[in-house]
Amino acid sequence: MTTFQVANIDYIAILPLLIVFGTAVIGVLVEAFVGRERRHTIQATLAVAGLLAAFVAVIVATGHMGLTLGHVDTATDRHLFALSIDGPALFMQGALLLLSVLGVLTMAERLGGTGSDTFTPSGASTPGSQIEAVSARAGLITSEVFPLAMISVGGMMLFPTVNDLIGMFVALEVLSLPLYVLTGLARRRRLLSQEASLKYFLLGAFSSAFFLFGTALLYGYAGSVYFRDLSQAVSAGPISMNGLLVPGAFLVFVGLFFKIGAVPFHAWTPDAYQGAPTPVTGFMAACTKAAAFGAILRLAYTGLDTARWEWTNGLIVVAILTMVVGSVLAVTQTDMKRLLAYSAISHAGFILVGVIAFDQKGISSVLFYTVAYGFSTIAAFAIVGLVRQGGSEATHLSQWAGLGRNHPLVAGTFAFLLLAFAGIPLTSGFVAKYVVFSAAIGTGGATGTGLVIIGIVCSAITVFVYLRIIVLMYFSDAPDDTVAFVTPSAVTTFSIAIGTMVTLALGVLPAALLDLADRSSVFIR
Amino acid sequence: MSTGMGTLVHQGTYAAGLAAQDGEAHAATGFTAYAWLLIALPAFGALFLLVGGRRTNSFGPVLATLLSWGSFVIGAIITISMMGRAAGDRPKSVHLFDWITGGSFDVQAGLLIDQLSICFVLLITFVGSLIHVYSLGYMQDDPDKRRFFAYLNLFVAAMLLLVLADSYLLLYVGWEGVGLASYLLIGFWYHNPVFATAGNKSFFANRVGDFGMTVAIILMFFYFGGVDFRTVQAGVAGLQGAHQGVMTAIALTLLLGATAKSAQLPLQSWLGDAMAGPTPVSALIHAATMVTAGVYLVVRAGPIFEASPTAQLVVVIVGSATLIFGAIIGCAKDDIKKALAASTISQIGYMMLAAGLGPIGYAFAIFHLLTHGFFKAGLFLGAGSVMHGMKDQVDMRRFGGLWVMMKVTWVTFGLAYLSIIGFPLLSGFWSKDKIIEAAFVGEGWRPWVFGLAALIGAGITAFYMSRLFFMTFHGKRRWTDEVHPHESGLTMTVPMVVLAFGSAFLGLILGPTGIITSWLAPFTGGVQELHPVIPESAVIALTLILVAIGIALAWMMYLRDEVPQAAPRGNLLTQAARVDLYQDHVNEALLMRPGIHLTRSLVFADNEGVDGAVGGLAAFVGGTSSRMRKIQNGFVRSYALTFLTGIVAIIGALWVIS
Amino acid sequence: MTSTGEAVAFWILAPIAVIGGLGLIFARKAVYAAVGMAMTMVVVGIFYLILKADFLGIVQVFVYTGAVMMLFLFVIMLIGVDSSDSLVETIMGQRLAALVLAIGLTGLLFFSLGQVVFDVTTVQAGMDKVVAINASTGNVTGVAELIFGQYVWIFEVTSALLITAALAAMVLAHRERIRPKRTQAEWSAKRIRDNDHVAGLPAPGVYARHTAVDTPALLPDGTPSAKSVSRVLVARDQVASLDAFKDVERHLHREIEKGSEK
Repeated sequence: MTTFQVANIDYIAILPLLIVFGTAVIGVLVEAFVGRERRHTIQATLAVAGLLAAFVAVIVATGHMGLTLGHVDTATDRHLFALSIDGPALFMQGALLLLSVLGVLTMAERLGGTGSDTFTPSGASTPGSQIEAVSARAGLITSEVFPLAMISVGGMMLFPTVNDLIGMFVALEVLSLPLYVLTGLARRRRLLSQEASLKYFLLGAFSSAFFLFGTALLYGYAGSVYFRDLSQAVSAGPISMNGLLVPGAFLVFVGLFFKIGAVPFHAWTPDAYQGAPTPVTGFMAACTKAAAFGAILRLAYTGLDTARWEWTNGLIVVAILTMVVGSVLAVTQTDMKRLLAYSAISHAGFILVGVIAFDQKGISSVLFYTVAYGFSTIAAFAIVGLVRQGGSEATHLSQWAGLGRNHPLVAGTFAFLLLAFAGIPLTSGFVAKYVVFSAAIGTGGATGTGLVIIGIVCSAITVFVYLRIIVLMYFSDAPDDTVAFVTPSAVTTFSIAIGTMVTLALGVLPAALLDLADRSSVFIR
Repeated sequence: MSTGMGTLVHQGTYAAGLAAQDGEAHAATGFTAYAWLLIALPAFGALFLLVGGRRTNSFGPVLATLLSWGSFVIGAIITISMMGRAAGDRPKSVHLFDWITGGSFDVQAGLLIDQLSICFVLLITFVGSLIHVYSLGYMQDDPDKRRFFAYLNLFVAAMLLLVLADSYLLLYVGWEGVGLASYLLIGFWYHNPVFATAGNKSFFANRVGDFGMTVAIILMFFYFGGVDFRTVQAGVAGLQGAHQGVMTAIALTLLLGATAKSAQLPLQSWLGDAMAGPTPVSALIHAATMVTAGVYLVVRAGPIFEASPTAQLVVVIVGSATLIFGAIIGCAKDDIKKALAASTISQIGYMMLAAGLGPIGYAFAIFHLLTHGFFKAGLFLGAGSVMHGMKDQVDMRRFGGLWVMMKVTWVTFGLAYLSIIGFPLLSGFWSKDKIIEAAFVGEGWRPWVFGLAALIGAGITAFYMSRLFFMTFHGKRRWTDEVHPHESGLTMTVPMVVLAFGSAFLGLILGPTGIITSWLAPFTGGVQELHPVIPESAVIALTLILVAIGIALAWMMYLRDEVPQAAPRGNLLTQAARVDLYQDHVNEALLMRPGIHLTRSLVFADNEGVDGAVGGLAAFVGGTSSRMRKIQNGFVRSYALTFLTGIVAIIGALWVIS
Repeated sequence: MTSTGEAVAFWILAPIAVIGGLGLIFARKAVYAAVGMAMTMVVVGIFYLILKADFLGIVQVFVYTGAVMMLFLFVIMLIGVDSSDSLVETIMGQRLAALVLAIGLTGLLFFSLGQVVFDVTTVQAGMDKVVAINASTGNVTGVAELIFGQYVWIFEVTSALLITAALAAMVLAHRERIRPKRTQAEWSAKRIRDNDHVAGLPAPGVYARHTAVDTPALLPDGTPSAKSVSRVLVARDQVASLDAFKDVERHLHREIEKGSEK
């Protein structure tokens, strides 16, 4: 007869998660009980307030680091904890919360309408149908996007925090499901949006299946789903079990690679980025990537660290493919959102290079890169969403011609963000690439150096891509005057401004954040 | 050691000098601690003018000019205080802030003020400020004047950051900043597609250079564990011998960066096109200041180059080839700005040659760089003044006899011209002659080859510069009907006069007195005695004879004989030189052609000429890209197939490996 | 150690599970696919029972086979049993490539997993532990202790998934009523105002031996009236053909005539 062991819970440590999930639930209640007219404002305010409160809670939680939500099995001395509130986890949580604030603010842009400008008034109506038009006229809104986004943020925060494979899977689904829905809710070009949503969902399910399969194999190997047990099992484990370990480890990584859009698991990225409402695209690009890299770090550094030799080669192949395919395919894109999607893919490759460093530097450089990239990308997509022609978003590159002349400030900001993606000095992109590459060179040995050289060649390719847009904006004539930048309200302006300023600040004075990332780079397991 | 700027003090970051040095650069005290103002003033100006927008239209240009002069004054004061110290105590470091420090990453942002960098500071701020003044007049009627001045200020700030940085990484930041400012300046009038294309070409060449720089910095980080000058120098000393290949690799990648920035073979082609830019001002700022960055880099990275004789030889070859190459092109150009650009390429070739010779050449490379800064600036300002009076015409075949109408321009231009061809006692004479002498130093075949190249280059220089001078100011008037040449205003002539003085006397002040060699002695391992393979006096005599022949030839062809208003067919060499010795053709044949049909197949046919300029590499990437794009066909089942392929292939590979 | 009985059960049931899985993928009719999946799930439930995980086995059958799969079947029935997507493959080489890769993956996994040698004592120890806990704590309680003990956080967070699912269903499928629903009185008033069938639509056809809503009434000229049957039936093509009644009518007619003759 065993006695029931109650899970030890440090409520302060998990307060950020509780606040975010709590806000989401309150949001659902608001949806049910508050009138339509006030719903948008209340939901947006609630979401932002919840995120900010959670951020404060993250700061408080830094004093409560450690394992929580579980117990130590005294008989076997196993640490059976669901969550690991440690440096990387809290760093990612804080970063995700701040990025989400910007993301939610861009989602809340109304442009004078009753609800969010980029979300359909009625998700259930057939695209182009009369009901859709009537719903729009009747002032229907889809303010459910806010609770959905909050749940997604909760899942993202959980993703790098979990301490076992099952928790990781649940977090993966919690963050993904709302995104599938959000992707399909665009106001304009709804068929494209719904198609994107379905594709994202199907391929997401496909990748989840591999993740689960890998989890099963690893459980078979270690007899436990906890990272600590897994790591210990590998150190102690016999070679005869490697038949479970090798495919298991890689398949679990596949599920995570899918989320960052690594090649060859990237195919959803351009379609989903293009189809999704633009603020959601920005949110996805910034936050999903950050969260997934947090998870990759945890898996690679705490769970499968001892089995490194078995899967590093796979990671290297994926990193090379991701960098090369992302950069090369970006060259021929004609749609701004697709182009940025491929750019996102190539960035994922660069960050993977940092993962391969396998030391604290690797962790802190990855943390830094995801944050730097996140701020730039949210601002960039926010701008993309506001360049309009005839009411709909002007995402075709030819529509951007001559924007520099008509809207110098907007084009200048966008050009600056592109330079950051390109990794030009004095932008965060430069410092990010520098730290990632130097981490890989520092401890990655010859492989690291090789990867870095490929990385540099690829960034040189992407520079041309970004340059072409800058040239297009500044050095060519606008086809006509119908392409215009819609003046957004203060909230979107705020998020664009913050994103841009952070990009600049991290380029000029990255020391503070790097320092923080460095101090936050120790995992607890 | 205490100072008012306590926080800025950083103890010893750099072992001053490149050769044998005993002392370290001490933290700056007194006024030198404010050296960051050098960069901050123009940087502020650029920011203020760009952010301030139209509101600053009225006073912006003047403010920018004042800020630039402010930098010069600070530079001058720092120089004076430096002169007051003993040689060993001259280098000072200013710690700015911890730039990239995440515990294990450690790059400090700091400035290094030593004899070498202060030379550049003075040149950049002085010539740069004169350009500002000159532009006040030249750009008077341009509606976008404010933006232009913002770019000028940005350029000065970035250039100063480049030369003052105390680490290769910070230098790289300045390097990129200069590239950006130059790109903006060249493409300033983006309504004109030719200018915009030129901007892109320069951007492309510089990206190739940046690639070299990046790899070099990474290699340094890898092998030396740091990228600041001191760590690298110590690392070079520590690794010498054992890692010859590494040294060569680092040196050659650095050289790639230098060739791009300084328009040396094989990346020289952009400079000529950049001269098509809107104003002689932007042409000048490149010619007089930016292109010297490569020379600075080679001199600054001296220890690395010295550790690899192979790399040094490459530098010398690049330098001498470029100086001949540029000079030949200069002979055939009818566009006054392009002829001057070719001359710039050739003169930088001289400096590169000197820098590649090692410690015996460093001082003369810098010396020539300084005098060149003055006389080339004088030439460009003169050309601008001519163009200003000739309704922006640039074809020298439509000039002639201008000396009557534009006396000031004629005299100042004439002095600069005499200086560049090495007329005795003028600035150019002192500096160029020393380089030729240095090229004759050595053993075996080298002094003969490089010395003769430098010598012949001097002769050709005399020919094409005389040609330019005669065609513009003398001979029959060949003007088109609508032009009425006139002298330019004071804001333009005063800078020209100032520069003319520099062109005339700077060499005399610095050269024969030994000031420059002793000032830079810490870098050259003491004042170097030159022992050329033929006597010094013979070198001087030979040079002068060749120069005289050059002038005589030019006189016969362009002053005694009538200059046709349409360019004659000319012999093969002339024809080749007119098209820049087929450099674009070579580029095209090697890089572009194979990719052209692929380029055409691109879905997004970029009619901005980017792909064309970018050449075959982009076409190759683009072609691959459009083929790979087909995999992205929009069908989920096909995506899933890709996904599955990846899994099967990688798991299979993992098994094979393990 | 695996007992003989267990081995026999496994080797009989495992192929069934695989066949069910293959049926899910390859069956042309949605119902067959659903039934195939139900079969697999039942077998999996049995596996759990064999492994002494009683609660899990029963729940697997109850929840998955009983509830989830039946719900699936209902949905399939509602949408229409016959509705199926086009199965023509348009991408060249897709099927072949998929087949090759599937075989490749299977082969790799067989190769890889086939090499694995489990430590017999460890496996037996695990099994013994389950049996011991089942005996002392009880299977259900044991599962509960896990769920509410070390896995409580995951269990709780799963609720976020359910909330998302409910919210997503609402967003994607629920159409908000834009105008208030019309009362019968309002409909009536509208009909009279528009002079739209003030007396109501014609009733379906009433025949001597056949009276049903799917039978159209006949107009005075003998043609069927479309308004007399529900338009849903028309759309589904489920309206009874009048030809079927012609014979009956003729037969009746003859009978009447015969009767009158008598």
